[in-house]
Amino acid sequence: MIEAIELCKQFERSVKKGRRTEKESFLAVDHVSLRAYPGEIIGILGPNGAGKTTLLRMLGMLMTPTGGEVRLTQRVPGAGISGLRGAGYDEAGAVIENEIEKKAAIGYLSGNTKLYPRFSIREYLRFLGELYGLGRKQIEERTADISRVLDMESFLDNRIERLSTGQTQRASIARCLMADPQIYILDEPTLGLDILSADAIIHFMKEQKERGKTVLYSTHYLEEAQFLCDRIYMICDGRIVAQGSPQELLAQTGTESLREAFHSIYDGQAAGSEEDICAVEDESRKGGASA
Amino acid sequence: MRQVKTLVCKEVLDILRDKKTLVMMVVVPVLLYPLIIIGMSLAFSYVMQSQESREHTVGYSAEYQELVDAAKEAASGRELARLTFIPAEAGEEEKIKESTDAWMDISRTENGIWHVTVQFTSSDETSSYTSEALADLLEAYSDQLLAENLRAEGLDEEFLHPVVCEEEDLTPASESFGMDIGGSIGMILIITILMGAVYPAIDATAGEKERGTLETLLTLPVTNFQMILSKYISVALFACVTAILSLLSLGGSVLFLMFGLSPELASQMGGFSFAALLRQLPLLVVTLLVTALLVTALCMCFCVFARSFKEANNYITPVMLVVMLGSMSAMIPSVRLDYRTALIPIVNVSLMVKQIIAQQFDAGLVGTTILVNFGYSIVTVWLLARMYNSEDILFSDGFRGLRLFQKRSGIREGTVPGTGDLVISIAVLLLLYLYVGMAVTVRSTLAGLLTTQLIILGLPLLVVWYMKSDVRGLFRLRRPSVRACAGGVPLYLGTYMLGLSCSMLLMRLLSQSTQNLEGSFEGILEQPLPVLLLVMALMPAVGEEILFRGFLFGSLREYFTGRAGRIALTGSARPSAAAEEKRRRERAGCVRAAVISALVFAAFHMSLVKFPATFLLGFGFACIVWRGGSIYVTMALHFLNNALSAVFLKYPEQAGKLFPILAKTEFTAVDHAALLAGGLALAAVGIAVLRRGTPVPTGSAEQTE
Repeated sequence: MIEAIELCKQFERSVKKGRRTEKESFLAVDHVSLRAYPGEIIGILGPNGAGKTTLLRMLGMLMTPTGGEVRLTQRVPGAGISGLRGAGYDEAGAVIENEIEKKAAIGYLSGNTKLYPRFSIREYLRFLGELYGLGRKQIEERTADISRVLDMESFLDNRIERLSTGQTQRASIARCLMADPQIYILDEPTLGLDILSADAIIHFMKEQKERGKTVLYSTHYLEEAQFLCDRIYMICDGRIVAQGSPQELLAQTGTESLREAFHSIYDGQAAGSEEDICAVEDESRKGGASA
Repeated sequence: MRQVKTLVCKEVLDILRDKKTLVMMVVVPVLLYPLIIIGMSLAFSYVMQSQESREHTVGYSAEYQELVDAAKEAASGRELARLTFIPAEAGEEEKIKESTDAWMDISRTENGIWHVTVQFTSSDETSSYTSEALADLLEAYSDQLLAENLRAEGLDEEFLHPVVCEEEDLTPASESFGMDIGGSIGMILIITILMGAVYPAIDATAGEKERGTLETLLTLPVTNFQMILSKYISVALFACVTAILSLLSLGGSVLFLMFGLSPELASQMGGFSFAALLRQLPLLVVTLLVTALLVTALCMCFCVFARSFKEANNYITPVMLVVMLGSMSAMIPSVRLDYRTALIPIVNVSLMVKQIIAQQFDAGLVGTTILVNFGYSIVTVWLLARMYNSEDILFSDGFRGLRLFQKRSGIREGTVPGTGDLVISIAVLLLLYLYVGMAVTVRSTLAGLLTTQLIILGLPLLVVWYMKSDVRGLFRLRRPSVRACAGGVPLYLGTYMLGLSCSMLLMRLLSQSTQNLEGSFEGILEQPLPVLLLVMALMPAVGEEILFRGFLFGSLREYFTGRAGRIALTGSARPSAAAEEKRRRERAGCVRAAVISALVFAAFHMSLVKFPATFLLGFGFACIVWRGGSIYVTMALHFLNNALSAVFLKYPEQAGKLFPILAKTEFTAVDHAALLAGGLALAAVGIAVLRRGTPVPTGSAEQTE
């Protein structure tokens, strides 16, 4: 299980004061608490600049929170990384304290996590396998399995710089699979993909859920989130403004689709001051291909 | 280590597949250097040969045929260039002038002296060559005439040289040759390492960000330190390989030139022994390694700020210029490796290589240089690792620790200089200190000291003005409390005594005398005492305290304590535990700030012997400012310390009677024991008094990372 406890992240933004531009601090993620259990797909929704990417980066151990804590619990106490495998969740499970073990338990994928263009997929997977402490034979077997599942056998030895967008995205998923993590954090994984590639990703997420893995993902495709997610967190200005299963959100807002529910929730939250716009721009830049 | 090994393999493979790096690493040294050296030499040799073999025409007025015939006869036995003389009849002069390579304008005085003006075109190689050949010919004729005249008078040639002066260089010819080429080899070594390090450094840092693979790397189960260490090892490896390839290629080309094409060049080596040089090879390899470590760390430190290859190129250019300038220092006459220059990075390597090639080196100095560079490398890698822990750098939205390059209007009131600002400021200060301060000192010691102190005071003030810092709070410009004075004095005395003992021990270890330390003030000791006190005591007390305790310690204290607050906020759930954790981390942060500021303070004094003493003094002063809350106390103590030194230098005998222990040139074991015991006791008393009160709270309007 992955748990965010009162997570905060402070950034700076430019604020126009008269003719001068000054810097001021603001909370891009403002005391966010959430839980994601094994065998669940959790959707993180929100407009651009809401803080989704920053939140996912903190959950993925890429960023240090300014406040709060990210807690990862493993099913078998003291069993290390291998103990994370398998379905089921035990409330009394041991908390992973070591940051490296936390990273090993998470598979993080976003538009910003590019692959080494000068490597072939096989070379890259071998490098990852060695880093995760796998033996030579294990690496070869796992590479063969993954390439078969993701249908990558024909381009496994091609350099990544020569792959198409869809092939590159499959190689990125292969990267996550190599460690067989307990938790997947995916930041807009279907963004800009053709229907076939997007379907492959969706299929991958469902499959991981069935294997008892936790999947946390952000998206702008609300229809996709509605049928895929078990629970949804809606974020605005760094704060959670709504949460629940898709059905619960529809019931709360009295709407019939997640798109309508989204509008209903965010219209109430819209605070369109000049400073907010500035902040959104500032944070979008910080997040690169931010959510 | 397994993780680092895997990461190094990945980095090496990645860099090896980068065409730019391969061109710099293999194509340039292996192909370009020999092509340039041998090609240029062949071209030069061809031009010379063609000049020697061709006919050179010289025009002259036909009425002076007598001179030309006599000169030709005089030179008949000598090996001179082939000259063809073309006489010009009256009215043809201009026509002949235009068609010949040179023209002789001849006249003769009443005494029978020939005056010949050779007219030629210096921009035309053939014309220049003709002019030189003609000069040789006429000189031969002049010598012959002179000999005939002397014989006619019954004199011999010795008559012309009543005093004969000859020079004899006692330096062995091999050593002299080594000194001549050693400077160039040092420079080539440093520059090739730089060339080898730059592109891999950019590729491994900015390139990784530009390609978008850095975020992927951050998701892997490795620490940031492992990540940066593997990058550092890989880049240093490429720098070494490039340097070795370059040196082999250059050496091979030069040897081929000397023994294959121009054997006369080999004769100039004067018995220079390659076998003896080979014996120094392990030392040269160690030098290469240490230099590669330092240059790599420097390059990476700057490249890490960049978001793209192009941006990194801009950042690295000034670094390259500084390194190249430093590498040329061995070619400056009279600049030698001593315990002062051994502390200046790059310069020390350049000077050391010169001494090794000349096979004339001091083992102590070489050891110091290697250790010093190794130390600098460790510090730079530590800095690099800290930078790599900064999210502002990794997630490429500018480094909040570096605000000096921002527009001042965008900087918030009360901003504290960040770590990047401090590094840049100290680097600029060091450059000004070394180049401006020392340049003025060469002309006048007094003016040099004044200039240096003005730089030391001016630069931090300029930076805090630009950054709109709260000067009063940052520098601790507050009225001193009784406790600060009561604790500060014994702490100062204690650190002084401990430092004195350490310095004397080091002096004995390095076989230096106290006179060496006093040498740098020789030029100003004839000044009256008030002037001495002004430049040696008052100005350093104000300037150095503002720089090291106000600017550096103050900013680092804010940085570390600010971080401590954030870490505590993250780490603990219970408010009381969080507050306790915060206090503990703040204390640790202040100690770290004091240690770093003291290290920089000690390094700035550029004396290995005085290093422990200045470090202890710097640390003690930082503690006084931290716990006492006022910089005025340390300014007064610093003044007292320097004033005592000034009086001692000016009136050594009288001061020696007053403080006999300070007049001693060597300490006994009892002296050391007394100094250590007294020093520790006084320091403990000082710390105890200072600890009784609560420290002045840290924090400012804006803390930067």
